[in-house]
Amino acid sequence: MRSETRQREVAVATAYGLLLVVLAAAAPGFFAPGNLRDLLLDNAAVLLAAVGMTFVILARQIDISIGSQFAVVAVVAGSLSKTGVPMGLVVPLSLLLGAALGALNGALVVLDLPSIVVTLATMTALREALRWQTQGEDVLGLPDDFQWLGLGQDAGRWVIIGLALAVFLAAWWASGNLGAGRAVYATGSDAAAARLLGVRPKRVVFSVFVLLGMLTALAAVLSAVRFPQVQTNAGLGLELKVIAATVVGGTAVSGGRGSLLGTLLGVGLLGTLGPALTFLKVSAFWEQAFQGAILLGAVALEGLRRGAQPPIVRSRRLRTA
Amino acid sequence: MGFLLVEVAVFSAIATRFATLVNALEVLRISAELGLLALALTPVIVSGGIDLSVGSLMGLSAVVTGMLWRDAGLPIFWSAAAAIAVAGAAGGVNAVLIARLQLSPLIVTLGTYSLFRGLAKGLTAGVETYTHLPDSFLFLGQGYLWGVVPAQLPLIAAAAAGYWLLLHRTTVGRALHAIGFSPEGARYAGIPVARRLALVYVLCSLTSGLAAVLYVARLGQAKADAGTSYELMAIAAVVLGGTSIFGGRGTVHGTVLGVLAIAVLQNGLRLSDLPVELAGILAGVLLVSTLGVRRFLSRRSHP
Repeated sequence: MRSETRQREVAVATAYGLLLVVLAAAAPGFFAPGNLRDLLLDNAAVLLAAVGMTFVILARQIDISIGSQFAVVAVVAGSLSKTGVPMGLVVPLSLLLGAALGALNGALVVLDLPSIVVTLATMTALREALRWQTQGEDVLGLPDDFQWLGLGQDAGRWVIIGLALAVFLAAWWASGNLGAGRAVYATGSDAAAARLLGVRPKRVVFSVFVLLGMLTALAAVLSAVRFPQVQTNAGLGLELKVIAATVVGGTAVSGGRGSLLGTLLGVGLLGTLGPALTFLKVSAFWEQAFQGAILLGAVALEGLRRGAQPPIVRSRRLRTA
Repeated sequence: MGFLLVEVAVFSAIATRFATLVNALEVLRISAELGLLALALTPVIVSGGIDLSVGSLMGLSAVVTGMLWRDAGLPIFWSAAAAIAVAGAAGGVNAVLIARLQLSPLIVTLGTYSLFRGLAKGLTAGVETYTHLPDSFLFLGQGYLWGVVPAQLPLIAAAAAGYWLLLHRTTVGRALHAIGFSPEGARYAGIPVARRLALVYVLCSLTSGLAAVLYVARLGQAKADAGTSYELMAIAAVVLGGTSIFGGRGTVHGTVLGVLAIAVLQNGLRLSDLPVELAGILAGVLLVSTLGVRRFLSRRSHP
């Protein structure tokens, strides 16, 4: 791992540590087990999506449509469950749907269309199509086996948290130890050079979008089962939270640089921010401003540390020739 | 361009009262804010950058306008002018981080997207709305000149002309194209890259402030959620109009057509009693297919 990545991880961990220290001093009630557990629960979905997004950004692409994907999968999962499909089937079907949505993005990007425009288009189209279908109505009347995957609240909570952590650990290991993981770094760093090494950049790019789709779908299902209804505006703003957490954690949008540990820390820092503000008696309406400030601060610090040396400017197109 | 003509033809056939002068002027009125944002984004995107914060800045400007007018007692037009100045200063944040520190415009403006909207929400505690604005101000957004022409039209026409001149007739405009095509090359050519980039981002935010003022005048209220999601439609309009998202290539007249294409789409669907959601879906499909066709055509001529 490059030392810059390490430096960023340390910086974020330090910032996070500072936040926790402030909380310990000013609002120790924050550390009540119930509160911490809820914190983990709330951020499990963000973590899952952020893992997927990390790979996408590492590959020098971006996906701003995950919020819409999230909503679509959540509503479909709820609707399927309502019509009597058992959860044992709903979950894999949802993952399949997520993979399909991701594949749509991936296929268009591999056709050499810029990922930001492609995912802008799919984001809008999906959100509007969903709204057309649901007419703004939430999915109500969900069967018992939907809630908490039929496991009851206590067990269900830990299953969700455990799953998210397990996926993270697997992805973390894979990013450093599996050829496929290294291929993502290679593709994002220099697709043409990667090709010479035997990596198939187009295949890698397509795969990371599919992976992100599946992880977003999993996040959607794990979030939906926590509540008695599925809201049609689920996932609003998810892409921002996820991209911000990933970037704060050190993954550069120019690709090829970053780490999953950084993403975990980024999710932690930004995810703790909201509840922390509440506990510190700061109006929750300032949360978004703080999130923006942290993101700006993180990249600005990196920019200052890099000095006047300009970054290597490369086209974002997937050049494989 | 072709698509726009097709749209007009289709909607003239199936929509009620679509092909009238009154409706045409209404379309122009409603697309005023989107048009301003798209115009402002064009030089930004041509220079190889992007600005996701324009919509959020509208929210902040709207709130500042309301606050200065109601809580500080400033006359409304002065409040609006001050809000536009504040927007320019906010754009300065983008400018410094992008032009000076050479950070990724995508990430910087993602951050300011959150920051500006967050500031707007924080200042209003999420609920405050400023209403009962003076009629003289509301005329800007709701009134008609000579009974027919929407009051925003001269403003937008001036903005379009100004941006067209900037991008297509000045050396600054040429510099932006060069920077978008190759920042390093532009630097070696002696172009003051940082200064040019700073200019477009500040200009963009000033225009965003102006769009906010029009938005508030049109709706008659100033809220923190002004301009939500506008940045995405604006970017779509710019890309539809032929500007490459990578920079180096783009025209103001293309952007105008792109804005009209989207505005006509929304208007036509509404008048045809078709679901409004179709607009979003079609816009997405249109965006992808337009890009795809262009890519295919350019592949053929540049094998």
